[in-house]
Order: sequence, then structure tokens, then C-alpha cells
Amino acid sequence: MAGTIIGSGLTVEGEVTSDEDVVVTGTVRGKLTVEGAVTIDAGAHVEADIAAGSLQVGGSVTGNVAAGDRVDILAGGRLVGDVKSSRLTIADGASFKGNVDMDV
Amino acid sequence: MARASAAALSTPETESILSRGTRVRGRVHGDGSLRVEGAIEGDVQVSGDLELDEDGSISGDVEAGAVSIGGQLTGDVTARGSITIRAAARVRGNLGGAEVILEEGAAFAGRIEAEFDLPAELSVRPGMRGQSPAQAERGPHR
Repeated sequence: MAGTIIGSGLTVEGEVTSDEDVVVTGTVRGKLTVEGAVTIDAGAHVEADIAAGSLQVGGSVTGNVAAGDRVDILAGGRLVGDVKSSRLTIADGASFKGNVDMDV
Repeated sequence: MARASAAALSTPETESILSRGTRVRGRVHGDGSLRVEGAIEGDVQVSGDLELDEDGSISGDVEAGAVSIGGQLTGDVTARGSITIRAAARVRGNLGGAEVILEEGAAFAGRIEAEFDLPAELSVRPGMRGQSPAQAERGPHR
């Protein structure tokens, strides 16, 4: 299962839904609803609310995110928005602004 | 670099893939090639080639380099290269490309405009390209 790849030159404006994994190296504006894992690679630009099984942020994300499993903001990653996930890591070198709800 | 995950796949020439379980409602545009195995409801505009897989569908106008259609497409296609409508395809819309290939078994409803020069004996009525004036005026553009 290859999963979806939004390549570095590509822009999606609108709503993306998937029951597979999604890798974004390009741009997404709108809404991203994914049952599998979402990877926002370094260089990617996402202005969207994200609901995912798990989320890895290496690029730039503006929007509220919710993950069933976990959210990882990697070094160099940038997330502006609220996070709703029972597990969250913010690496040294990552930027984050928003509220965290770990469902406690 | 950011391309590492894409490079791991067996199709290095495809820069973007919308897989089987993926659905896009909106516009998709940009550089590189695109393979669609899922569904797009909206216009698609890419600088590279577009491949619409057997299980894929697009409802919207398409603009790309070479276009290969195996799935379902409703909308106009403008290609800088060739347009191939493969056997399993169902296409409704107008096609404009350098070359149009329609395989046996494909379902197609629409107009084909391929860029080529007619032989001298057929081009006595310039600009008509073999169609009646009424057809040319009506033009099924939406």
C-alpha cells in the first residue's frame, strides 16, 4: 500500500480525506482528514485543520490538529494551532504555539 | 531531504500520488506529475504528466503534460502532450491535445481536438476542421 504523496510542487486547495497514510511535501490548504498516519515533511506548507491517526510535523502547519494516537513535532517543524491528542512530543528545535488537550 | 519518502517508492518519476483510499474535494495544481488512484472532485492542473488509474476518478477539468486515462473522467482535458484513453476508461468531456489515442473498449462521449495539419484536399474550408458550421457554433463548452 503506497499511500498518498502530495509532492513538493503540488498544491491541494480543498478537502482531502483518506483511509490510508498521507505524506505531504507540498502544500495543502483546507482540511485534511486521514485515518492513517500523516507526515508533514520539512519544506511542506499546510494551512488546514488535520484529523489523523497519528501526525508527524517536520514542516509548517497552521491549523488545529487532532490525532487518535500521537502527535510529534520534529526539530525544524512548526505548528501553530491547538493539539488534541493523548500523546504529544515537541522536539528540541521545533516551534509550537497553541493549546494542548491530552484528554485527561 | 523532503523527497526521501517519495524516493523510496518504486515509481520515482511520479512525484505525487493520490492513492486508492484518498478523496480530494477541491483544486489540485502545481509542478510535477500526478497519479490518481483515488477520487478528485475539482479541477486538476499540473506541469507534468497525469495518470488516472483504473480505479481512479476525476470530476473536473484537467490540464497536464501527457494524460493517460484508465478510470473515470468527467470534464475537459487539455494536454500539452498526448492523451491516451485506455481500454477500461470511461470519459465524458472534450479532449484537446497534441495527439489523442483511444483504445478499443474505452467509453468516450465528447469532442476531440488534436493539433495536426489536415491533408490539402481536406482543408479547403479553413477553420472548419471537417465539422458543420452549426456544430462549430454550438460548441459543448460548459
